[in-house]
Amino acid sequence: MGNAEAPVELGAVRDRWVGVEFDWASFDMRVEDMVAWAKACGEQDPRFTDPDHTDFQAHPGFTTHCMSGRVLPDDFPQIGGGFGIDGGKNVQVHAPIRAGDTLHATTTIADVFDKTGRSGTMIFIVQRMEFRNDEGELVSTVDWKMIKKA
Amino acid sequence: MLLDLHTHSIKSDDGRAKVENYCKWIRKKELPLDGFVLTEHRQFDGESDYRHLEDEYDLLILKASEVETDFGHVLVFGVNEDLSASLDFSNIRLPIERVLAESDRCGAFAAPCHPGRKRVGLFSHYEERGAVDGVHTVETLNGGSIPGEDELSVEMAEQHGYLGFGGSDSHVVSRIGFCATEFPDQTITSVDGLVQALKGGAFQAVTLRGGQAGS
Repeated sequence: MGNAEAPVELGAVRDRWVGVEFDWASFDMRVEDMVAWAKACGEQDPRFTDPDHTDFQAHPGFTTHCMSGRVLPDDFPQIGGGFGIDGGKNVQVHAPIRAGDTLHATTTIADVFDKTGRSGTMIFIVQRMEFRNDEGELVSTVDWKMIKKA
Repeated sequence: MLLDLHTHSIKSDDGRAKVENYCKWIRKKELPLDGFVLTEHRQFDGESDYRHLEDEYDLLILKASEVETDFGHVLVFGVNEDLSASLDFSNIRLPIERVLAESDRCGAFAAPCHPGRKRVGLFSHYEERGAVDGVHTVETLNGGSIPGEDELSVEMAEQHGYLGFGGSDSHVVSRIGFCATEFPDQTITSVDGLVQALKGGAFQAVTLRGGQAGS
């Protein structure tokens, strides 16, 4: 992440960066990881916890742990203060993820916006990871919000 | 007619409620609401069509907007193409005088919400900057208020001679209807009708917290 010396106008950041792809990674879907995740979530549905179930698949939130390590694009401007805090993830499930699948993820900047609440003005940077299986089918979308003090 | 004038769906960045789930909740809990208004943050949702839900659940579902200004947040009812072209709804520093004037010019109705709230409420700016010309109505009862905020809203609204309405400011399904607005002896069937009813001034804020209605 680059450091800008002057304050950055958010509209310009949005225009420049929203939709820009900046990371690519692959993840192998292993049975033991899928079961462990589901059980850690307290899931009891055998579709997510029993590998012998005919419809065994990853728990809906499973892809939220797939991180490639890159948070923002190279040269992304320094906006807001500090490193930011984790604003949580929103997951959309499009199709079942099966054991043995290899998921191919692309990461983009989905949105940059600010808003004001009781705590003052905060900047939100939304990073979107889209996961596709080997057939190219979109199976999961994860939007991750990073919140920074304006 | 009883309407919740301030709700958010998943169309808002922080909304977690699907519109159909609001409808289901209202019917399951037998809330006395006749409908609700979706006031999505910093945008006007011109695309979504909820008429099938209105028919299925016999509820009025209208769309408005919550914008951010230099004097806090403001609800705008009756957003049209003219107003959308005139204001950048994503701008969190809109001058409130402009929002009020442009809304009026375009036939809409703008009113500050949660005015007793720190930083994002109208009255939190009054001490330093003085009263704003053009304000006539504020949300005196807000379902998301913490203790003291609505009390301040009611007190200051009385002091300035503002009318008061109510809204839940719900972001999750279970909070819809915490506060609402009663329009006695009126039937509202459209957003234009709502704007006319608000301009008419015959309404009152009510709280439904705990299942009991009260002003």
